[in-house]
Amino acid sequence: MSINKLLVANRGEIAARVLRTARAIGIKTAVLRHPAEVDTPAHAIADEVVTIDGATPVAAYLDIDQITKLAQRIGADAVHPGYGFLAENAGFVKTLDAAGIIFVGPTEDVIDLMGDKVRARKYVQERGFPVAPSAIEDDNPADFVDRARAVGYPLLIKPSAGGGGKGMRIVREAAHLETEIETARREGERYFGDGRLFVESYIENPRHIEVQVMGDGQGNVVHFWERECSIQRRFQKILEETPSPALTPQQRDEICDSAAGIARAVNYRGAGTVEFIYAPDGRFYFLEMNTRLQVEHPVTEMVTGFDLVAEQLRIAGGEALGLQQGDIGQTGHSIELRICAEDADADFRPAIGDILLMDEPAGPGVRVDSGILDGGKVTTDFDPMLSKLIVHGRDRAEAITRARRAAQDYVILGVTTNLGYLDAILAHPKFQSGDVSTGFLADEAEALRQAPDAAISDILMAATALSDVRLVRAVENVPEIYRMMGGWRN
Amino acid sequence: MRRILEINGEETPIWLALTGQTHVLHLGARELPCTLDPATGKGAYTLELDGKRIALRIAEGEDATFIHLDGRAYEVGRIDPSQTLGEAGGDAAQDQMIAPMPGVVVSIAVAPGDSVAEGQALLVIESMKLETTITAPRDGIVAEVPFATGDSFGGKAVLLGLAPLEETE
Repeated sequence: MSINKLLVANRGEIAARVLRTARAIGIKTAVLRHPAEVDTPAHAIADEVVTIDGATPVAAYLDIDQITKLAQRIGADAVHPGYGFLAENAGFVKTLDAAGIIFVGPTEDVIDLMGDKVRARKYVQERGFPVAPSAIEDDNPADFVDRARAVGYPLLIKPSAGGGGKGMRIVREAAHLETEIETARREGERYFGDGRLFVESYIENPRHIEVQVMGDGQGNVVHFWERECSIQRRFQKILEETPSPALTPQQRDEICDSAAGIARAVNYRGAGTVEFIYAPDGRFYFLEMNTRLQVEHPVTEMVTGFDLVAEQLRIAGGEALGLQQGDIGQTGHSIELRICAEDADADFRPAIGDILLMDEPAGPGVRVDSGILDGGKVTTDFDPMLSKLIVHGRDRAEAITRARRAAQDYVILGVTTNLGYLDAILAHPKFQSGDVSTGFLADEAEALRQAPDAAISDILMAATALSDVRLVRAVENVPEIYRMMGGWRN
Repeated sequence: MRRILEINGEETPIWLALTGQTHVLHLGARELPCTLDPATGKGAYTLELDGKRIALRIAEGEDATFIHLDGRAYEVGRIDPSQTLGEAGGDAAQDQMIAPMPGVVVSIAVAPGDSVAEGQALLVIESMKLETTITAPRDGIVAEVPFATGDSFGGKAVLLGLAPLEETE
């Protein structure tokens, strides 16, 4: 029962990326659109654009009943959730199952298990995979603070229902433990509607390394190697690469086999990612499993040559994996940059504006997965990520060189982006030597700051003045006699 | 003709004049002859300045010009000198806390009539899933708190007003 018509229940770059593959393999496609949205690449690619309503665009993309009914109405036999929105919502899977529509992803039970970070840890630990020392509030709320204290400092407080780094707090001293627990609880309640917490031992200078896995729900699981995602601001990734510069071949096999083992334990179906925290001494601990296609999946595609969305769609259509671990190699090195509308010099404050001019980079080993069009608008309705720039090179040095050139060639004018900041990261000697941790951006904040340059100011002012049509016309209309006075001013 | 240009928060008055067929940019005491010609590519130009030819991309917004130069994007604010006259001598920016973007009020620590000290926490807002504490920019008396906890506000909304400072001279 292969898929005939696919509804992509998402937007932006990921909708465009999924639609391209679906079309390439002969599946009919549809995508959603809220009336408040401007044109995006996805709308131009899909065979059909379906309007969804909602008080806000985000509310519409989270409306399970409406999306399920729309899928039925247009005759879609499968829904791809992308990432975010309903991608890890077990209720959505249940509703689609009841309507006889294929969810391109894992089963409801697995989403439920992995969505509860506390249950997931326990499950993984019980099966012999490594997890960090921790205290879980639910085990006995009455002595949670005491047990948290016993984990030792520094420790990390996390919302049980959390993800994406939201609501996480590092505590280094006993004096701050209780107030930080209260703040984390409040944030958990607001972001996730769930104030339950857990704490775990915080590893200094850790790396974030994750492993792409794929299973068919029929007992077959493979991994597609690791991704290094240590370059994060506010616990959110902005640059990812593969292979990780930190791992020896033996460590790489060890961490990737653990990930595949965890996926095998739940008889995983579809694409998933097992995230690990990696300590400077080589220890690694299970963090969580994301039961979806990740934002950074393209770097894996660049080095393995596989189209992960095509594999997802084949498996969702009922096919067996048909791959052995030995079929999946890594060639060269890949880096992804997340282009965000934000001001890196103002604490990464999200920026809004009109895209007045856009020109994407091209060339050998360069891929752009974009969610914006020239003339588009950037609002606060959605996540500030505009597009992703992915490069591939023979080795890490070539990938860095290509990423820098492509980032510098990427023209987005009209809204502030982090392109210059990403280029500064790529140029940093510590990044170039692969010596990074999740604290890299905070530790190197001063070095990454873009100092204004006086010589550039003259160029910018001359260009601004001469491209200001009203100013130039006014100057040219000044009578000759006054013009002769040149430098006169009031 | 005069303009005030703003780069990285720094305002610079400029004067553009025409000498024969050449434009001259006056920056303080410096005079820089310059020309700008269209080049190949979307928004592409060649600027001749100080004997150098410089390739750039330019997009003109309503009150700012965006320039892509040597692999970096820059924003140059254009201020019409006549607009700034009304604000002369005032300290208005310190009287009102303006929301930089839409969000929700998480908590409020003060009420109208309260005395506050510089740096004191006034209210906590959340925009784009980030919590920010708004602190007092100076000592003063709270004059207005237009929103309640849980209220949504739009960009540029006044979140809190301090009573204007009395002239003490």
